[in-house]
Amino acid sequence: MALPRDLSIGFSPQEIQFLIENEPTRIMPRITTRKTKKQLAKDPGAQWSLITCDDSTVNNMVAMNSCEVTLWLALLLKQQGKCNVVVPSWLTLQQLEKYLDFELKNPSRFSNLPWNWLVVSSLLFARCSDDFQDPVHLLRSKVQDLREVRLGKVNKGLQYLNESHLQLENLSLMEINEMRPYACGIMDKLRTIHDSSNDTT
Amino acid sequence: MGYYDIDDILADGTRFPCRFNYDVPGLGYLEGNPGRPISKNAKLELPLWMVHLLAVVGAQSNEDSRVEEPLPFVELLPPDLFAPRVLNAIKSGATSLDLHSISPHFYTLAEKWATLFSDKELSQVLKDMLLERGQEINNHAISVSMFSNCNQTNDSAVFLQTLDEFEKTIYRDTNVNCKEMKKWLVLK
Repeated sequence: MALPRDLSIGFSPQEIQFLIENEPTRIMPRITTRKTKKQLAKDPGAQWSLITCDDSTVNNMVAMNSCEVTLWLALLLKQQGKCNVVVPSWLTLQQLEKYLDFELKNPSRFSNLPWNWLVVSSLLFARCSDDFQDPVHLLRSKVQDLREVRLGKVNKGLQYLNESHLQLENLSLMEINEMRPYACGIMDKLRTIHDSSNDTT
Repeated sequence: MGYYDIDDILADGTRFPCRFNYDVPGLGYLEGNPGRPISKNAKLELPLWMVHLLAVVGAQSNEDSRVEEPLPFVELLPPDLFAPRVLNAIKSGATSLDLHSISPHFYTLAEKWATLFSDKELSQVLKDMLLERGQEINNHAISVSMFSNCNQTNDSAVFLQTLDEFEKTIYRDTNVNCKEMKKWLVLK
């Protein structure tokens, strides 16, 4: 194939970010896009609407009434100062502390962070740091700690690879993608070696 | 492992020692004796793709046609590649082994050898070695800084020289992936 090798064996981080940007996110709009009948009657020209695939929420936003839109749209509106992002409940100091605690207490298990925690947290830190209740630099360091602890566990787990299965409980998409080329390559080879001496035919 | 995989082709061209079980007319050129027949019990080294077939397919010989199982054309002799000396070296310290100097296609060859003889012990040694060396490869691959090879330490360069071709692809894939990841994290 003409695709570069690193793209044909897995996703690039950018592709994963793209996938995750399609997740619904709760926002507090500062603009109103919903139009009343009275408004429409008075001015037919006001019948404009934003063109989207699924426009039910986008065209029904009322200022300061929370609603759910996709993450990329939320970030776009945020950039234009048209909304505030409601930070997900797991992204608080207290909650992250709990996750970190779990990670440290269970050296062989992963805490049940959302499957997109790494991407969502870094996107939100970078694009809407003023929406957080807790100081962002503390959150950032907690996320960094979490990442390092989990990365250590992943790398420790890689020495127990076998030819038949691999347990990936509670790992996020990004983390799985990070270990993909190594784990897939080694497991594939283990499998062919295993098959070579156990020929069933 | 495709039809056009150059490493697969090269691995198949590796020569293995074998012994002929028949007199074959006209094959003398294989031992540098063109025009003459090759004699029974002649020992020579043939590429794997050839011995692989010759060691499996047999012919009916004139002298003992009573034998039920046809004797294969050649008999494979234990190669240096999988001598007990090498296997012991692997068992004693897989990470410090210079696998590339033993054979640049060690895994592929060992795999084919294990298939031919259903060699369970060899495949177990191979699996253990793969995991042990894989750890080392992974460590080297993810510890490289994102600015290409300029920061590669002498230590890791020496280690890379000892990798077999398959291990090199693993290293490359892991390394590229890791660099991409680091780049993404910085850009955020």
